[in-house]
Amino acid sequence: MLTADLVRPRLRQRGSELYIDMLNTSDPYWLQTATELIALFQRHIDQTQATWDKALEAYEGERIDYFTIRGLAKVLTDAATFAPLATSLPAPQLRERLFAHGPIFASPHLFHPQIRDDVIRSAANELGIPPEQIEETLFADRPATYLLTDAGPEWTPESLVARYNLELARGVLYWANIVQIEVHGGYKDVWKYLKFFKLMFWVRSQHDGYIIDLDGPISPFVSATMRYGRQFAAFLPALLLCEQWRMVASIRSPQSQTLCTYRLDHTSSSLETHFRPSGPFDSRLEADFACEFEEKFGSKRGKWVLTREDEVLVLGDTVMIPDFALTHKDNGQRILIELVGFWHPDYLRRKVEKVRAAQCRNLLLLVYEGVNLAAEALQDVPGEVLYFKNKPVLKEVMAVVEKMASRVYDPSLQ
Amino acid sequence: MLLKQHEENDNGKQVREASSVPAFASGKVQGHPQGQCHYPVAIRTNICYYTHMSKRVSFQGGTLVLYNIDGETSPPRPFRLVKERWRCEGYHYGSIQPYLQEEDIHDAVPRWKALNLTMQDTREAHDYQLEALVAWNDAGCCGSIVLPTGAGKTFLAIQAIQQVNRSTVVVAPTIDLLHQWYARLVNAFACEVGVYYGGEKKILPLTVTTYHSAGDLMADYGNTFKLIIFDEVHHLPAPSWGEAALMSPAPMRLGLTATYPEAHEQSNGRWRVEDLIGPIVYTKRIEDLVGQQLANYRTQRIRIDLSPEERARYDSDHAIYIEFVRSRQLQRRYGPGWLMELMRLSALDPQARRAFLARQRLLRLLASCEGKYTTLEALLQEHDTEQVLIFTEHNATVYDIARRHLVPAITHETHAAERKQILESFRTGHYRAIVTSRVLNEGVDVPEAKVAIVLGGTSGAREYIQRLGRVLRKVENKQAFLYEVIARKTLDEGKAQRRRRNIQKAD
Repeated sequence: MLTADLVRPRLRQRGSELYIDMLNTSDPYWLQTATELIALFQRHIDQTQATWDKALEAYEGERIDYFTIRGLAKVLTDAATFAPLATSLPAPQLRERLFAHGPIFASPHLFHPQIRDDVIRSAANELGIPPEQIEETLFADRPATYLLTDAGPEWTPESLVARYNLELARGVLYWANIVQIEVHGGYKDVWKYLKFFKLMFWVRSQHDGYIIDLDGPISPFVSATMRYGRQFAAFLPALLLCEQWRMVASIRSPQSQTLCTYRLDHTSSSLETHFRPSGPFDSRLEADFACEFEEKFGSKRGKWVLTREDEVLVLGDTVMIPDFALTHKDNGQRILIELVGFWHPDYLRRKVEKVRAAQCRNLLLLVYEGVNLAAEALQDVPGEVLYFKNKPVLKEVMAVVEKMASRVYDPSLQ
Repeated sequence: MLLKQHEENDNGKQVREASSVPAFASGKVQGHPQGQCHYPVAIRTNICYYTHMSKRVSFQGGTLVLYNIDGETSPPRPFRLVKERWRCEGYHYGSIQPYLQEEDIHDAVPRWKALNLTMQDTREAHDYQLEALVAWNDAGCCGSIVLPTGAGKTFLAIQAIQQVNRSTVVVAPTIDLLHQWYARLVNAFACEVGVYYGGEKKILPLTVTTYHSAGDLMADYGNTFKLIIFDEVHHLPAPSWGEAALMSPAPMRLGLTATYPEAHEQSNGRWRVEDLIGPIVYTKRIEDLVGQQLANYRTQRIRIDLSPEERARYDSDHAIYIEFVRSRQLQRRYGPGWLMELMRLSALDPQARRAFLARQRLLRLLASCEGKYTTLEALLQEHDTEQVLIFTEHNATVYDIARRHLVPAITHETHAAERKQILESFRTGHYRAIVTSRVLNEGVDVPEAKVAIVLGGTSGAREYIQRLGRVLRKVENKQAFLYEVIARKTLDEGKAQRRRRNIQKAD
């Protein structure tokens, strides 16, 4: 991510609205700059970071848009790897040894017959390495002497500029205290990343989507903390995985120090995410279950259609997304299925709390019987619980599904 | 389901996926309770962890959160219902204890450990230090101690840590002070000490951090420390610096300062020191203690000439720079903020950009001009048997000198352990010189030196010269020396003058 000083110059304020001045991805001027920077960076593979820094400074020259050049370069270096030179002797150890002789001089003096060359040469002899290696090792642990070992992904000028734009959008959120997002469709990964970046969220359903308020644990207790800005910024690319989304962030403008609004949505720009959408299944168990269902009850063979994670149970400060939903082809009745496999006790505890909180009558829990979960823990769960040994027995599952459906959807019990 | 890979436990740390082979497969067989399940299966289990969802309080990102509380009675203040759970700031942990006990709420907050430290420092505490410690104890180990500079606040804190003997975090205002605390704690207890700041993040039961980084540390690890110590506690009212104190649940809190903020000085902040730390438990004024001894040293200014080639480069860059600054009257129009204005303009105006770059080039030239290197070499030879501290502003120059003369360097890149080793080796005379770009803060862990050499530097270096004054000591009859090496007819001269004026003002 960009440093704040690289974001600030591109911030614009109009009234209480904040904007970020992104680069036009088809502007030949910036595509030319991006092309040159990528080439320059490629030429610095196996060279030190200090050499690269110097080359970048030379490239900037007297250009006044140097902070944009630095931003583009930051995108390049963030995705690249600079690694310390592998030395046979740790650098601090060598320093300890040599510095015991200092201060030392290049030529001999009356009280200093020993010169720098002598010290280096005798250390080299004792250690059995050439003197040049001594010089190389001396500060090999300084980041400035790290070598560019991997220049990162294959950038095109367009992809570099696009990524820089995304980093600018993320950068605005450094100064955010609350972010509200609205998602419609393809939001599966949003939940995953919200948890991954440890954001606190609060969810409300809204026709075909959700409104999610984001802040952090301490936010309600301090006015407008910017403590979570970096987490919002880290999360932003996940939002771009959704089909339709909107974001409104409350920002304390670093220039005017006033509270402003920053808006972004799926139409507002050519932003592209570099986060990958996750695959359809999270475990073998789930994949096998879906596969077996298709074989035995799939297409025309049965009355039920199996879908994957298509319903979100909103529980306020968290959500539960059952692994599968079965929808009846004729009457649209739905039974949700959650597979409880082999997980950490903490996970199970939270899972049980969620199942209770959901108060969902059409939820079927398939629980691995070896799991460390006492039956009492699930005794007053509103749905049904079915235990299994190795994998769920589909025949048993479908029997329970039928029974649940008739009970849940029985008009006499409504 | 997807969320399980990223589930968090109450500590906000990610729980790793359990392996696919259950670790508890060898448990004893337990009958399934009758009538509670329609499906005849036996559950193998070791312990039934979650037979009922018990009431508990957990630490979450700097807050305390109640779980499984019935809806009938509301928990008392400071708890607030936020997003359907009762929550409060971490620092209330001590005061909510009676409520937790009354309601039989399981306390899942503490993660602190016993330290089992052995004090290596055999110095005896002064009477006033012992009095202060007793007063802090009597106040339930919560409150601030006000002692004048140099009265041994660090030593006092070390005594408190040893006495409490539980996981402790020390919060210091600057990275230099963090390094100093690190060295003092390692020496006092001969144990490993963690450091947590931008440069290094290693959390141990005894850890030192900065106000700047403490918030992040508290969010993730706040409940691993039972005692929290705030060095220079008067910084707490600052908006972002107080957050760490707010988020920490540590029931034992110690604030240290020489200048406790007045009530009106605290009104700008969002909280008062008393609220977060407790009251002042002990005060000792400077009049009550022996006055500080001022160092005895002589300042010698050495002027060097730039080489003809350097002179030419300097003059041409200086012309570009000064012409712009004068033509725009930056200093007159913007006062002390004129340099910021130049930086701002340099992103808009090509002339400003050229002027700024010219200024950058000439500062680099002054830092590394050959005359300064030659003079340094001469001075090092002249003081062949004495301990020498070398100061220069630019990192590149520091490492250049370190390489040329094989002397240890201390910069912001130097990690705590190596920094400590360098200072100690200097103190014992194993190293004869140190070259540094940092202000070696506060007398305590800076070794005494006979000679200090300042290679140029900014007028803002006033503080470091002052501090240097404490480092330089007259040994026997030989006077200590402070050399200032400046380039003739350059920016150096004006700076040296401003510096001198500042020192005289401060004295």
